[in-house]
Amino acid sequence: MYRAVGAGSPRPQGLGGVFCIVPPHILREVSQRGSPAQRGWALNTLAISEQLRGRRSVLGGLALSTPTGEKRRTVYDAQHGTILPGRRIRSEGDKPCGDPAADEAFEALGATYDLYWSAFKRKSVDNRGLRLDGSVHYSDSYDNAFWDGSQMVFGDGDGELFHRFTLSVDVIGHELTHGVTQHEAGLVYAGQPGALNESISDVFGSLVKQRKLKQDAKDADWLIGQGLFTKQVKGVALRSMKAPGTAYDDPVLGKDPQPGHMKGYRELSYDNGGVHINSGIPNRAFYLTAIALKGRAWEKAGQIWYHALCYRLRRDSSFSDAAKGTAQSAAELFGSASQEQKAVEMSWKEVGV
Amino acid sequence: MQIEFERSGGITGAVLRLTLPEGSLAKDEADKLQALVEQSRFFELQSSPSAALKPDRFHYRLTIEQGPRQHTVDVDEADAPASLQPLLQALTALARARAHTPRA
Repeated sequence: MYRAVGAGSPRPQGLGGVFCIVPPHILREVSQRGSPAQRGWALNTLAISEQLRGRRSVLGGLALSTPTGEKRRTVYDAQHGTILPGRRIRSEGDKPCGDPAADEAFEALGATYDLYWSAFKRKSVDNRGLRLDGSVHYSDSYDNAFWDGSQMVFGDGDGELFHRFTLSVDVIGHELTHGVTQHEAGLVYAGQPGALNESISDVFGSLVKQRKLKQDAKDADWLIGQGLFTKQVKGVALRSMKAPGTAYDDPVLGKDPQPGHMKGYRELSYDNGGVHINSGIPNRAFYLTAIALKGRAWEKAGQIWYHALCYRLRRDSSFSDAAKGTAQSAAELFGSASQEQKAVEMSWKEVGV
Repeated sequence: MQIEFERSGGITGAVLRLTLPEGSLAKDEADKLQALVEQSRFFELQSSPSAALKPDRFHYRLTIEQGPRQHTVDVDEADAPASLQPLLQALTALARARAHTPRA
């Protein structure tokens, strides 16, 4: 048997004064305790106030995040600028707005929220129901998507190599998981802890996709960013968790540099020490565990990794710490010397950790 | 003027690199870059190692050699000064264009 766990420490939410006749502390109370209509009003007022004050773009930190206790998504249009969040174009309860990027972002934010709630009983990124905000059409020809500490940001791609970054639901799950990691283990974004941070985002990003498609581990493609490449690129995705190093081989992008074993681990002077490269090793460890445990990957392997993220990993954890932490988590959830614990240990051994 | 440019990071993890030896650009392109270098006050900028490394943001490393001067700036996208942004965007576009050349 396993148990679903929800973690995340409550954080102080200091909004300060906002441009509104109702004081912010009352708005916050209403946003958490009012009727559905009252909560909607209070949250919208808080969001507008934050926007008017331009504080999100200046501070962008946790202090301005509004907990809702429920799924509450808002998508903004950055209108090809870099000032966030931009113009609001779709909120919770609205019909699709017709902008493919905005509607894709909205759906994927929901799919990510749903995975964390249904599989792990976690309320949003912070486990307090943090509102999920995303801005689309960020900058010009922007080949990226990122979590800025309080919201999601999506580029449209350059059209030559990359399509818009809202096309891939696992990319959105990946980015929101950086927020989860920020609230839990807080893995430093460099070296091995950074590669673990990246890997955890790939793991839960892939689980968002697998749950959306109702797939067993053996049927999943285990690709990250499938669909982002234009037809000009020789490749299927940004990364493969099943076979790191095989996702692309292209004259412009080069060959997928990810190793799937410690023998290929690389000390690099760029990419914060190769966080997007060495993450192939823990990615494959998760894939092997999920395949060994069969069935839906979020029901066993995902529970083990989530437990480790919340309770066994620290900001400076290494791959070796992750191997120990996930094995310990498997023992705590499924029993000492259980087949789940053995599967975790075998998987890390197989990737050389 | 000689330029070495590298953009790493981003969710794709792909590294974009560009080396522009002295005299490798057409005059109008070279003039445009020269103006952006001056506008950014590049040789007065300090590298700004980020206090908190940010997931999936781009990181830039730019080295420019001009006459007796050589200077390198390492900066995260989120921390790059506004004056430097146009130069980073121009070099990104140039690096992309050069990378795509083999397709032609």
